[in-house]
Amino acid sequence: MSLTDLLDEAGLTGRGGAMFPTSVKLRAAFDNRAELIVNACDGEVGTHKDALVVAEHLRELEHGAGLVARKVHWAAHRGSDTEDRLLEAGLRVLSVPARYVASEESALVSLLHGGLARPVMRHEPIARGGRDSQGHRLRPTLVLNAETVWRISQIAQYGPGRFRGFGTPDEPGPRLVTIGGSVERPGVYDTAAGVPMRELLTAAGAFEVGAVGIGGLSGGWLSAGDAWSVAWSNAALAPHGLRTGTGAIHVLERSACPLQYVTRLARFAAGESAGQCGPCMFGVPAVATQVAQLADGALAYDEFALLQQRLRLLPGRGACRYPDGIAGFISSALRTFRADVEAHLAGACVAMKERAGAAR
Amino acid sequence: MRRARREAEVAEVIVDRVACTAHGVCAVMSDGAVELDEFGYPIQSRLTLPPEEARVLVEACPARALLFRRPT
Amino acid sequence: MTFLWYVSRATGVISIVLMTTVMVLGMFLSGARRSVGSRTTIVQSVHRSLALGMLVFLVLHIATAIIDTYVHINVVAAVLPFASSYRRFAVGLGALGADIVAAVVVTSLLRRRISERVWRLVHRSSFVMWPLTLWHGISMSTGNEPLLRFTTIGCGVIGTAAVLWRLAGTHHDSARRREVLRQEWT
Repeated sequence: MSLTDLLDEAGLTGRGGAMFPTSVKLRAAFDNRAELIVNACDGEVGTHKDALVVAEHLRELEHGAGLVARKVHWAAHRGSDTEDRLLEAGLRVLSVPARYVASEESALVSLLHGGLARPVMRHEPIARGGRDSQGHRLRPTLVLNAETVWRISQIAQYGPGRFRGFGTPDEPGPRLVTIGGSVERPGVYDTAAGVPMRELLTAAGAFEVGAVGIGGLSGGWLSAGDAWSVAWSNAALAPHGLRTGTGAIHVLERSACPLQYVTRLARFAAGESAGQCGPCMFGVPAVATQVAQLADGALAYDEFALLQQRLRLLPGRGACRYPDGIAGFISSALRTFRADVEAHLAGACVAMKERAGAAR
Repeated sequence: MRRARREAEVAEVIVDRVACTAHGVCAVMSDGAVELDEFGYPIQSRLTLPPEEARVLVEACPARALLFRRPT
Repeated sequence: MTFLWYVSRATGVISIVLMTTVMVLGMFLSGARRSVGSRTTIVQSVHRSLALGMLVFLVLHIATAIIDTYVHINVVAAVLPFASSYRRFAVGLGALGADIVAAVVVTSLLRRRISERVWRLVHRSSFVMWPLTLWHGISMSTGNEPLLRFTTIGCGVIGTAAVLWRLAGTHHDSARRREVLRQEWT
């Protein structure tokens, strides 16, 4: 049985967040004799699983990568421990500037070809090759997340049956999640789709749960009540407008003002636009400014309508899905923290008041 | 037969977001089919137009940010 | 046939006036401070059609210069820079300018088929073509014809002002792009 058939049978999807069937990407790559970039950047906020895979399973990773392509490049954030480990192992390392969009698929391909680590406007899959905005040719290149490559190795070694022994029929296979925030034992956990969130939160020692962020900056939020009752899978998260994504889980403590935290990430997001697409390079900073005003209790009701209008205009208008992710993240926050939003629009912060009350 | 011909008589135009530099010509030339956001960039990402109108629109863009998309 | 020589000089100076206008309009397009779609649409269509209109006068200018017998400029000298036996340098400047005009026009007509980078590079060579052509105009319209000379000099003054205006300009789109590009991306 060929590798792509094996992966089809296993039902492996990309572990870098997009969850696209790996076999489909692989077929296009084989047809075009694509080189491989193993993406071990952990570019998503709150995700550290690629670092763990490189630190503990490098042999299997190399095996998996060898099955996919003859020429393999290993992408890691510049200055990270992961980069050091890959260099020590004598691998061909693509040193990626440690920024959010730089580890996006087409940005890595652009960087590999001597361009800037910024996403490229694609009219067909990058595995077939293409051109960057300067007109430079990009060779066919396949980009796979490090965990995905590790899973390929496991499936090739132990068979699709064992892989399917984990997870749900629709979302099979073991998964890595990174749990952080208000937890006693932050870190990377082995799990699979369908596990109750309660189990994950308990395993990590979550305390004072106010809300739970799912999927980092391209994900969104669960209220504390939902977080304790829902299962961790795309099917169970879909009604909340969420996906498992890269497996990032962030516990926000109850005493913290959620809008302050969202503001911090929105400000970060405003500085991470690659400055290529107008709607993103102006829209994201404009939205971040308004979120900050909201958190400060300085946003008027009619300005809130403008914020929502700007959020509606972000998705689907960029070379990459970065603005889509930011809009989803902030929209989700505004829905989940509606009570806080209302209070801030009225000029008061619920969390601050409670904290002040508790201190007395 | 007739129907098949009519289907071929529309063209799809897409916006290259990296190339677009907010000249705003598409909004003027498209008779309102393209609207601009507050920063001057087109809100629509794709347009379906009669081929002749599409050709005029594509050639009018000073930044060459409008592209024909082959019907799939 | 000195008549043709006069036609050549007249069409030459008209070409310079039109070329300067096209240049100024082009700089207005690329250097606009704000996006005003209606204005850009009009300026762009005048820029494009006037450029083609200028070609008529330029072709006439070159053709009459070759055909006329008052001075000897052959086809080779009109196309190949600095190949003229008559006033080698001044005619050569004009030939070089005309070659660049041809390149700019051809790449613009083929714009949808070539890469944007190539188009931009060739289009920017207009900034070389224009002063060469002015120099050609000033040095050819010697002493006896102040009208031609001062028209050419006037074009130079207006065009230079436009270049300075273009260089000083900032548009929110290009400013933001430059700002982000200064960050670490490699």
